[in-house]
Amino acid sequence: MRWLDLLRMSLSSLFKRKVRTVLTVLGVVIGTASIVVMISLGLGLNKSATDQIEEYGGLTTIRVQEGRGGSSSYSGGATVVFSASSSSSKDQVMRLDDASLEVLGSLSHVKSVSPILQINVIAKYGAYLNDYMQVKGMTQEGLEGLGFEIGEGTLPQPGSELTFFYGNMVAADFYNPKTYDYPYYSTGEAPVDFTKDTVFFIFDRDAYYATQNSGGSQQTGAGSGSGDNSGNGSQQPPKKYLIPTAGVEKAAEDGSWGMNSSSVYCDLDTLKATLKRIFRNKAIPGQPTTSSGKPYKEIYYSQVDVSVDDIDHVMEVQEQIKALGYEAYSNIEWLEATQEQYANIQAMLGGIGAVSLLVAAIGITNTMMMSIYERTKEIGVMKVLGCDMRNIQAMFLMEAAYIGLLGGIIGLGLSYGISAVINKVVAASGNMATLSLIPPWLAGAAVVFAIVIGMAAGFFPSRRAMKLSPLAAIRNE
Amino acid sequence: MEQRERPVIRVRDLYKIYRVGETRVRALNGVDFAIQRGEFCSIVGASGSGKSTLLNMLAGLEKPTKGEIVIAGEHLEKKSENELVRFRREHIGFIFQSFNLMPTMTALENVALPLTFQGVAKEVRMKKAAALLDLVGLTKYRNHRPTQMSGGQQQRVGIARALVVDPEIVFADEPTGNLDFRTSNEVMELMRTIVREKRQTLVMVTHDNHLAGFADRIFHILDGKIVNIEETRQAEQSE
Repeated sequence: MRWLDLLRMSLSSLFKRKVRTVLTVLGVVIGTASIVVMISLGLGLNKSATDQIEEYGGLTTIRVQEGRGGSSSYSGGATVVFSASSSSSKDQVMRLDDASLEVLGSLSHVKSVSPILQINVIAKYGAYLNDYMQVKGMTQEGLEGLGFEIGEGTLPQPGSELTFFYGNMVAADFYNPKTYDYPYYSTGEAPVDFTKDTVFFIFDRDAYYATQNSGGSQQTGAGSGSGDNSGNGSQQPPKKYLIPTAGVEKAAEDGSWGMNSSSVYCDLDTLKATLKRIFRNKAIPGQPTTSSGKPYKEIYYSQVDVSVDDIDHVMEVQEQIKALGYEAYSNIEWLEATQEQYANIQAMLGGIGAVSLLVAAIGITNTMMMSIYERTKEIGVMKVLGCDMRNIQAMFLMEAAYIGLLGGIIGLGLSYGISAVINKVVAASGNMATLSLIPPWLAGAAVVFAIVIGMAAGFFPSRRAMKLSPLAAIRNE
Repeated sequence: MEQRERPVIRVRDLYKIYRVGETRVRALNGVDFAIQRGEFCSIVGASGSGKSTLLNMLAGLEKPTKGEIVIAGEHLEKKSENELVRFRREHIGFIFQSFNLMPTMTALENVALPLTFQGVAKEVRMKKAAALLDLVGLTKYRNHRPTQMSGGQQQRVGIARALVVDPEIVFADEPTGNLDFRTSNEVMELMRTIVREKRQTLVMVTHDNHLAGFADRIFHILDGKIVNIEETRQAEQSE
């Protein structure tokens, strides 16, 4: 028999039993739609998680921090008052200096290394205070690599004078220390405009708190500009500095912010030079000291970002860095864990959908069996007239496949509709992420899967039809 | 003359035994005969005599318990079910008692159905089916469905369907069993005329002696055995 005739005959027998066909197809429609929508939810969740991770500094960057060099004990840095990091096991500590930069840069697959020196300062503007402002000193290359959208001004330039570049959420962290009111969150207005307002910075936070705790009154309106630290040993309030603004990050229209929006950025070398000048002969806060509490000559970096050429090499490079004795973190571990988690969710959601498709498949089998019982005589006549047994099987398989195809296509259309509604509802509730995502492969796979399920459901009935005796045609009822 | 030719149907020592509980029923109990090409034979017997079983076996619808059936030079008893289907498709036409037309198809499509199974292209098979419908006198009824036709017309369509593949042998199973007397005679005449024109072999099963009389030879069957082969003079008369 010709293919075209087979197709036409099976299609016409479906048309003969319209109501039954429509009902069976409806089962497949619901089954397909539930599977597709469930998987699309899993995919949407997974994608928004991946996007989020990528936003948080990409997937090819490894953050390297000082490590304990594989040595055993971690002993109390907490008891050393003016040193944030430990001092007793200093011999084993692998600190990040210019030499380590070269070592890290020479590893294979490493594209670039970018050192970061992070300090925390106190910023004051009028009655408002930001007592934990993160200032990150970075190389020009590193600053450009952050991909800021500049609202006003420029990125900090190298030079003798320290300039600050503000992330668009820095101003939100200013609060009134008397009322603990954050104006940005209570009124929606940032209290500070760094491009216009005069903000004072205090680098020596310890001295600041010491004067606060001892009840020493604050002397506002003290002299600005860089100068000597006069608070030698006594409980004098630390010196305040005025740092010119280089630029401000452009505020996103939807009010969102990235990982870098809450920090202040400046040029690394300028920051180093400035810190050395401010803390002359004193330990810079956050920097390691010798066992006797004396500062090292060199300023160590808080973090080095290692950029790897390809996402596939990240784990490998990360292991190498850890073997060198540093602490190394990357988003890839996070991503893998997240993806595994979402794969589980997706499998679970898909399983829920699969149950309804299973029910639909049983419906197809049932319909086909009924149809074969009704057509016993017809099938017998066809066999007497010389219709090949395989053709008979093919006819019934095709009928089942048609049901699957129709149900698959309509179900897919329904899924797109449901998906659009879900995304609209989610968007209306103020969430930016698309919750339901139907990529082309899912659409294709859904239709193919529906056809395969249809044929699988029709297989047993079609064999039964094939094996029916031609004698049924002879019997006269 | 034709007697010297190799017979188109040759049956030797044919048995069919059904087991019904503890007892064995011999539906066919040693049947031997030969049918020549172009012959019109009827098999006559009371119901339960084994005539239908014999026809089913000749058409390859049932397997014999013992014995051999050679049709058009091929041993049917050795064939698998799929081979039998192919054999029927190529060599055999079949006319049913209850017509067995496809209810959703027109007369023309019904006639063309065996050609569809052979994989003949649509235009070719429609042309051929139309010619056969002309032959059985149903030119006007091409696009009628079975439910729109009388019993006699339906059986004419059945005859056209059996003949459309130009079979060497046509089997008819009580072809007029559902028709009245006058229509039966018309249909019998039609069958006889057509197979004689085309020199096709027709084997018909009936319980009616009058209808059996249309044939060249009549096989009387009783309790699974052929008890008498009756020659009519019709073959010579018509030539």
